Amino acid sequence: MRWGESFPAEVNGEAISSLRESWLVEDRWWTAEPLRRRYWELVGERGRNVVVFHDLTAAGRGRAGGWFVQGS
Amino acid sequence: MTGPTPPYAELHCHSAFSFLDGVSLPEELARRAGELGYGALALTDHNSVSGSMELAQIAADHGVRAIHGAEVDLLAPGTDGQGTRHITLLVRDVQGWSNLCRIITLAHAHTRTGSIRREQGEPSVDLQTVIDHAEGLVCLTGCAGRSAVGGGVRDEPIVRRLLDAFGPEDLYVELQRPYARHDRARNRALGALARGLGVRCIASGDVHAHSPARAELQDAFVALRHHTTLDASEPLRRGNHSHVMSSPQAMASRFADHPEAVRETVLLAERLTFDLRTDLGYRYPGAEDESASRRLAELCRGRLEERYGSHEEAPGRLEQELRVIDRLGLAGFFLLHHDMLELAREVALEIRGPDSVRALLAPGRGRGSSVSSLVCYLTGLSHIDPIANRLALGRFLHEDLHGLPDIDLDFPRDIRERLIPRVHERYGRDRAALVAAFPTFRARGAIRELGKVLGLPAGEIERMARSSDGHGRGSGHEVLADEAQRPGGAAGTSSDRWRWLAYLVEQAYGLPRHLSQHPGGMIVATRPLIDCCPVVPAAMEGRQMVQWDKDSCADAGFLKMDLLGLGMLSAVERCVEEIARVHGRRIDLSRIPYDDPLTFRAIRAADTVGVFQIESRAQMQSLLRTRPMNLEDLTIQVAIVRPGPIQGGAINPYIERRRRLREDPSYEIPYEHPVLEEVLRETLGTIIFQDQVMQVAEAFAGFSPGEADGLRRAMSRKRSHELLAGQRERFIEGALRHSEADERTAERVWSMVEGFAGFGFPKAHSAAFGLLAYQSTWLRVHYGAEFLCSLLNEQPMGFYAPDSLVHEAHARGVAIRKIDVNASQVQCTVQEGGVRLGLGYVKDIPAEEAHALVAERAMGGPFHSLGDLAGRVGMGRRTLEQLAWSGACDGLLAPLAGGDRRSALWQLGLAAPAIATGRPAGRAGSPSSPHEDSCRPVHESTQLALGLELPPTPSLRRLGRWQRLIADYSTSGVTIGDHALAILRGRLTVPMLVTSAQLARLPSGGEVAVAGLVIARQRPGTANGTMFLLFEDEFGTINLIVPQKVYERHRRLARTEPLLLARGRLERTQEPTAPARLHADHLAGAPAFAAPPEPPEEIRPVINVLVRELAPLERFLPGGLEEAETAARVRRLPASGPGAQDADGAEVGSSMRAVAPPIQSFASGRRR
Repeated sequence: MRWGESFPAEVNGEAISSLRESWLVEDRWWTAEPLRRRYWELVGERGRNVVVFHDLTAAGRGRAGGWFVQGS
Repeated sequence: MTGPTPPYAELHCHSAFSFLDGVSLPEELARRAGELGYGALALTDHNSVSGSMELAQIAADHGVRAIHGAEVDLLAPGTDGQGTRHITLLVRDVQGWSNLCRIITLAHAHTRTGSIRREQGEPSVDLQTVIDHAEGLVCLTGCAGRSAVGGGVRDEPIVRRLLDAFGPEDLYVELQRPYARHDRARNRALGALARGLGVRCIASGDVHAHSPARAELQDAFVALRHHTTLDASEPLRRGNHSHVMSSPQAMASRFADHPEAVRETVLLAERLTFDLRTDLGYRYPGAEDESASRRLAELCRGRLEERYGSHEEAPGRLEQELRVIDRLGLAGFFLLHHDMLELAREVALEIRGPDSVRALLAPGRGRGSSVSSLVCYLTGLSHIDPIANRLALGRFLHEDLHGLPDIDLDFPRDIRERLIPRVHERYGRDRAALVAAFPTFRARGAIRELGKVLGLPAGEIERMARSSDGHGRGSGHEVLADEAQRPGGAAGTSSDRWRWLAYLVEQAYGLPRHLSQHPGGMIVATRPLIDCCPVVPAAMEGRQMVQWDKDSCADAGFLKMDLLGLGMLSAVERCVEEIARVHGRRIDLSRIPYDDPLTFRAIRAADTVGVFQIESRAQMQSLLRTRPMNLEDLTIQVAIVRPGPIQGGAINPYIERRRRLREDPSYEIPYEHPVLEEVLRETLGTIIFQDQVMQVAEAFAGFSPGEADGLRRAMSRKRSHELLAGQRERFIEGALRHSEADERTAERVWSMVEGFAGFGFPKAHSAAFGLLAYQSTWLRVHYGAEFLCSLLNEQPMGFYAPDSLVHEAHARGVAIRKIDVNASQVQCTVQEGGVRLGLGYVKDIPAEEAHALVAERAMGGPFHSLGDLAGRVGMGRRTLEQLAWSGACDGLLAPLAGGDRRSALWQLGLAAPAIATGRPAGRAGSPSSPHEDSCRPVHESTQLALGLELPPTPSLRRLGRWQRLIADYSTSGVTIGDHALAILRGRLTVPMLVTSAQLARLPSGGEVAVAGLVIARQRPGTANGTMFLLFEDEFGTINLIVPQKVYERHRRLARTEPLLLARGRLERTQEPTAPARLHADHLAGAPAFAAPPEPPEEIRPVINVLVRELAPLERFLPGGLEEAETAARVRRLPASGPGAQDADGAEVGSSMRAVAPPIQSFASGRRR
């Protein structure tokens, strides 16, 4: 994952050509596994849609700090 | 504001007055907006302007300009009135405010029209209503919404109609960026819609919280609003916390794709110049009546002669008051109140009838500071002679007065109930409405509601809620800590959800929960009120209210008349009626002797259970020490047990100085400064009345009457601490200059004044309440049975539950007779000198069935048997069973056959119709039972039982004493049989256990153990964490002081357990036995009513047990079981042995917990 000016610039080696949407999920804070993710729906240079998220949960919890491709 | 204009103004913001869709107070939003550098902030609550005045008053303090508006639900065409869309309406000018108020009024008009008026429907308006009221308003097309929640208007045809109504200058397409998945696409589409119509886009933040700390609470509120849990409410919630207020710069960045929409926020904010503080244009009826001064003067002068004859002081005082009133332009205000009282007189005549003994009584009476006014006295608005009682006018009326003075009127409940709708009729439904109130989240309610939202176990939530103080901030964490220590406690697992519950309870504390009605505050206006504030239907039929509470109404300059219902007024009216019925005597309470020795003797002995104001645990202990001799003393007594005098440190010096005066009439009262002597003489150098604060400020610190009133107002407002800090400097400086006091003295006097930031009574109010305290005591002393009877019929009221009232009255010789189907009326009555409990006291009996039983008995004679009863009254089986289980049918059983309630139940199984009638909760005799309307008689098709001869009952074990007690409590809440402690005492294995009767004879300082039924719990905010318990045993009551550390160790027991054992130290103080009448003769200031000579009287000691240890009583009964087993046995009726042996320890505790009478249990909380 490489970070661009306002959204990820490269995902799994594929350069990103445009941003379709970006959203934020903050949920399940009342449980032992709170959810806090920033999502991007992106269009790769080969025209493929990809959704990635950045896990924003506090350090030490689950996958905190990691980048992930939704659905893969 | 100085500096560069911020790039963004927030024009869409919800406060907690969106009720469960907003988590910040307007003040919190304004403060945060100021910190973030906003220049303007619009409050747009859902169909409400309840928070607008608060924002208007506070915003400028934070450098923010308040803009007013609302998010209104618009009925969506084509959805049959079911679906709504939101639009954001912002006020541009006065006409816009008026139109917004009218739109909101119409939106709520249908919300209480369902079959159950208490269930509020969702407010909404149709498009045409908005179009018809567009002038002066700016319309934004509404929020982004979520798929499950709806959102703004996006359909082009509707937007086009809005455009026609508002014009391109005042219609904006609203863009939001809540970081949801389809934001960008939606905003692109909305941008295209705007371009197509030629209107501008505008950005908004849809703020719901001022701080990230409240973000989670917003999620919880959404779930609560939809009656679901957080786990199940994902589609309803916003999905993230972007609804927290961000800085203008961050908001501009959020809309980087729409910079023109950001710019529009600032441009529009500059156009919205309506100022709620100055532009409202309210007038009360009579405000512009040029003849009002003349008419008021004629009215008063006409009555002066009648009341005072050739009195020396009265004419001068009247002319002085009339001059002040004329100068302030308030003559119309007084005439309006007089008119209101005349209306009340008409209503009273209709209710009481012309020949009733109640007709001797005034329709109502004044309370509060207005009682000090001679004009109020002469116009009937007060019943206290202000000259005879030396009441100063300044607290009520002075030449520097800004705004309107308060006149509060107390009415018996029945008169008030009918008067309020009549006021609507008299002044017009569009010109009169009640004031709103906003019940706020307190610990106990918040634990229950938010615990449910978190999906926590219901039983554990309830246990935790009951263990909480119920009111105080901090309860959430305290209770959680307490529970965590308890083996198997709710929070023993320390799970995330329990921690979140404590956190959310803290955050919710003090936020408004919903809109409710003020107990009696009414607003009237010359122009339609709905041009000033929305008017919405109240839950009670025939009533409507504005959307503002008393503070906002006062800020708006509204004339508020308080028409309050006072239970004791109703009770004394019932009492004089009962006296007339029983004895044929017509008692006029205004003409009873006000120096009755027996009455004052009872007061000094704290023999005051049930009387007005001086019956509480704290008041009774105080009476034993202050020993009131006359009405003037009683006026002070009523005021003394209040947060103001307590926090101001007045109580102990006052009591001590009275004692010194009794012992030595030449004792000189120490005053902090000589100039204080005149204003504090009657209270022996202490500040007890609220008006003394003003008098001290004037005499000691040189305040003008207006400044002194400003100080008084600063103490009574909710933001008093901040406002008071500003007054301190002025006071100290004034004291040094005006009285040449030294700085330490000035500081000490200020601390006395500052202490009064808590609640305190004005003297006039105390005089009015003191009089009622005396009158009620006089009735109790001379007509004990009639007085008890009236109290029982007027419940709920007062400090004690009916069970305690009955026990106390029985102990002083009032005969109490049980509920009996052949003797009881629906309500309690005096029969043969004693009080017969009414059928209405049996819980869950529909009122109509109770009335039908009494009517049938009157027509057909007494019931001869259970079969006869079942056959004649047409009651359902469950009602009959409830009567039988209460003991009301005992007289129908053959006594020689050994029958009791079990036998009656068995027989009714044969005799009663099997079809149950409707069984709403509530008592039949309760005049205000909310369920009366829903009571249903036996269904027409129900076959009535025949008056059968029933077969003999098989041999059934008789109920034991304990079981009878539990049956009494479970069916009527009152037992007149053996007291719980009388049943249990013989089995208690406790060393040093003493009774309430023995305590009086034991030496002070010794260790004791006492057992009792808890009848009152108090943990006032002024007591530094100490709890006060009142035990009742078979001989009387016991006062217990539970220090904070002991309370914290035993919080759950202290708060929830009905039967307790306490160990601790006996503390007993005895006032000296100097002849009491010396005091009256030598107190400075002439008493209003001199006490006559009287024989020596016994002086009762003040007795407390300072608690070291608490324990559940069941632990000391043989056979006690662990709690787990207890829970499993709660509902089992034991196969009993004789007498008390039929209940083991565990059963005692659990059965009593299930049915114990309700008790006083409160602490002070923050008040809004």
